[in-house]
Amino acid sequence: MPGKTPDKEPVDNGGYRGGNNKMKATKGKKGEDEKMTVVVPPSKKKDAEGDVTAMDVDEKAEEEDVEEKTVGDIKSNFALLDRAVALFDARFTLRALRSVSSIRKRLTPDILAQAISETYTVTSPGAEIAAGLLKAIGREEVRLGGGKGGNEMEIDSESKAAGKNGAKKEAKEIIPEVDVFFGILTQVLLHDNKQWQQGLEFSRFLIEKVQALNRRTLDSLSAKVYFYFELFAEQLAPLPPSSQSPIVAIRPVLLAALRTAVLRKDTDTQASVIVLLLRNYLLTSHISQADLLVSHTQFPENAANNQVARYLYYLGKVRAIQLLYTEAHNHLTAATRKAPSSACAVGFSQTATKLLLVVELLMGDIPDRATFRQPTMEAALHPYFLLVRAVRVGDLEDFERIVAQHGDTFRRDGTYTLILRLRQNVIKTGIRMMSLSYSRISLRDICIRLHLGSEESAEYIVAKAIRDGVIEATLDREKGYMKSKEVGDVYATREPGETFHDRIRACLSLHDESVKAMRFPMNQHRLELKNAQEAREREREMAKEIQEGDLDEDDLGGEFEGM
Amino acid sequence: MADRQLTTLLTQLRTPSLPFPQSTTLLSKAKLLLLQLSALTPSPIVPPAHLTLAREVYELGALHSLRAKNPDSFTRYVSQLQPFYELPPQSFSAPSPNQNKVTALWLLFLLTQGRYTEFHSDLEGLSTRGSVAEVENDKFLGYPIKLERWLMEGAYDRVWKAMKKGEVPSEEFGVLCEVLTPQIRREIASSSERAYPSLPFLSAQSLLFLDSEGAVIDFANSRGWVIKDRTIYFPTAAELNADEEGEQEQEKEVSQMVIENTLGYARQLETIV
Repeated sequence: MPGKTPDKEPVDNGGYRGGNNKMKATKGKKGEDEKMTVVVPPSKKKDAEGDVTAMDVDEKAEEEDVEEKTVGDIKSNFALLDRAVALFDARFTLRALRSVSSIRKRLTPDILAQAISETYTVTSPGAEIAAGLLKAIGREEVRLGGGKGGNEMEIDSESKAAGKNGAKKEAKEIIPEVDVFFGILTQVLLHDNKQWQQGLEFSRFLIEKVQALNRRTLDSLSAKVYFYFELFAEQLAPLPPSSQSPIVAIRPVLLAALRTAVLRKDTDTQASVIVLLLRNYLLTSHISQADLLVSHTQFPENAANNQVARYLYYLGKVRAIQLLYTEAHNHLTAATRKAPSSACAVGFSQTATKLLLVVELLMGDIPDRATFRQPTMEAALHPYFLLVRAVRVGDLEDFERIVAQHGDTFRRDGTYTLILRLRQNVIKTGIRMMSLSYSRISLRDICIRLHLGSEESAEYIVAKAIRDGVIEATLDREKGYMKSKEVGDVYATREPGETFHDRIRACLSLHDESVKAMRFPMNQHRLELKNAQEAREREREMAKEIQEGDLDEDDLGGEFEGM
Repeated sequence: MADRQLTTLLTQLRTPSLPFPQSTTLLSKAKLLLLQLSALTPSPIVPPAHLTLAREVYELGALHSLRAKNPDSFTRYVSQLQPFYELPPQSFSAPSPNQNKVTALWLLFLLTQGRYTEFHSDLEGLSTRGSVAEVENDKFLGYPIKLERWLMEGAYDRVWKAMKKGEVPSEEFGVLCEVLTPQIRREIASSSERAYPSLPFLSAQSLLFLDSEGAVIDFANSRGWVIKDRTIYFPTAAELNADEEGEQEQEKEVSQMVIENTLGYARQLETIV
């Protein structure tokens, strides 16, 4: 790499030189990207460069203390972002985003300010954003340019460098992805420091920037930006479910973002914003709006797994409230299965499982006992376990006691209104148990056992249960008893066949999905073709040489060494 | 000027016995006045006093249209009220005395229409107004909630008792209960058809909450029940016949389904292997 000396490394990191118009530069870069996605070798060179930067940063970090290390970690992500832009592959961006959680623990305003000041120079096009970032974290006084020497000097060296190899410098410009990445780090910092109001204002600023940029490589980053935007709004007083909460005010922004995302085929933002809107509506109990949103939008098929899981959860919740238990059950089962199994998402799995349990009960099923035995869930699910036990036995008194006892927990989980609906299921289960155990039982006994209040009520309730197909029985009005019919053979019906079919279908769709989920690196086949061709040529050459007879063992070894 | 006129109109409208045509003219006048005050829909620039007036106009409109048994107009007024109820309390000069009543009536109305999905969605929305216990113990709001619970359980006798005159929280609820009555009777009838092989006349009368034997006979005829020796026989035999035919068809369907499924599996297996 000509013209680059180790002591100038931080300056190089400092990025863009020359007074080009930013939009123009971006456009030029974009064109380059597209070319790069087609041609493989240049991108390889780019990789090497990225690695060098990362390595240098790492080396430096080892010498310094934690602060330096964190700054280094932040910077090492730029290489990933660079590569993401160059290869047009969102995977690298996602990898950078994943590192946020590890950086998060060590992040302080000072560290972030340092990283920003080392990255940007006063003249770089991102300076305006950088100033915004610094303002948001309360470090306005920090000067851009890393404080290594005076600003003027740097500009001098830059202009010299630019004069020498201007074309090369263009590639080293700070890409907008880095700006936004810093923005996300700032959001995370503000969130962790509970500065909700500043966070909300800063998010608005950042969203404006992101929308103005319109780059496809920003998609997964902007999804994250909206995510924190919503989180900040939720924390501000008056808290939801009050209808005056700021989350109501941010709906237009999110809806606009959704529209733009759909038009730009930006699936990451689309998925994320739909989920946020659903969450937003559900927090203020605007069920019908949430339902309308679901019916008017199409959730992107190839959205990130986590977003799909969240979407399914919210959808399941909406459907459960709307009494569509079968649908809700399907969505929630999928949500719990799609939830990451690692410890970081245990909260989500718990919440989804709780709702799933209630929906299963509402459908008249009894959840699997094993669900309650999972070590990560056991404590959180305990009230639900008691609930399930009461429903299973059909003991109305026990059920009401548990609801009263754990009412606060259920209310906090947002399952309380659903649980209140369970009362009828408890009664139905009770009746079913009795119909199975007795061939004939008086209405009076049913009434006493289920604590129904009056024999009259019992009669109506049993009649309704018969009509709804809960039990197979007849009532005798004059003698006042219920007579059970004999239970038919389940295997004579079509039910086993249907269950079998369902399972096979699930397996087949799993297979299809796994095939679809396989990822192939772009243009890899060309590389392979090339390799194959080379190998064939080599073989041919070798064959020729063997034919000519002037090749012995030693020569062969030498040949390989040379290669 | 306009708001003074509106206040006088409102005092006239507050008399519940006002005949419907008269109230309609008064209401349309009131709405014109609201338009002059630009308070027809809530917006941040409208002063609280006007918003309060507008809200009361709609509330009275909803109550009047319910008394006049005009469901369409009732629905319209309630939907116009929704944005007002979403506003924070400080944007009005006084809290509404009718808010819970109108909401409860709306819930009951949804019940009579069998729109359970919306009923539960709106019920969930009530949690923003206070704790669940508060809502349930409210004189007005608790009523539709209790009715729905009993209806779902099948405790029709309790529903019946709650719907009797004197038990309803206010006169407007009575109007909706009248709509609900035949529906409940139909529910009872359909469950009795399946639950009892036969039913003596007197029992049927008490079960269906009918006033006289004549009413029982009329009702039985309307549902196609056979009456013999003062006992009602439910049409089980005919149903069984129909079922048997259905079963044969079903059998055919089952075998066809099995064949289709198996062919499907074979095709899928081929693509996989």
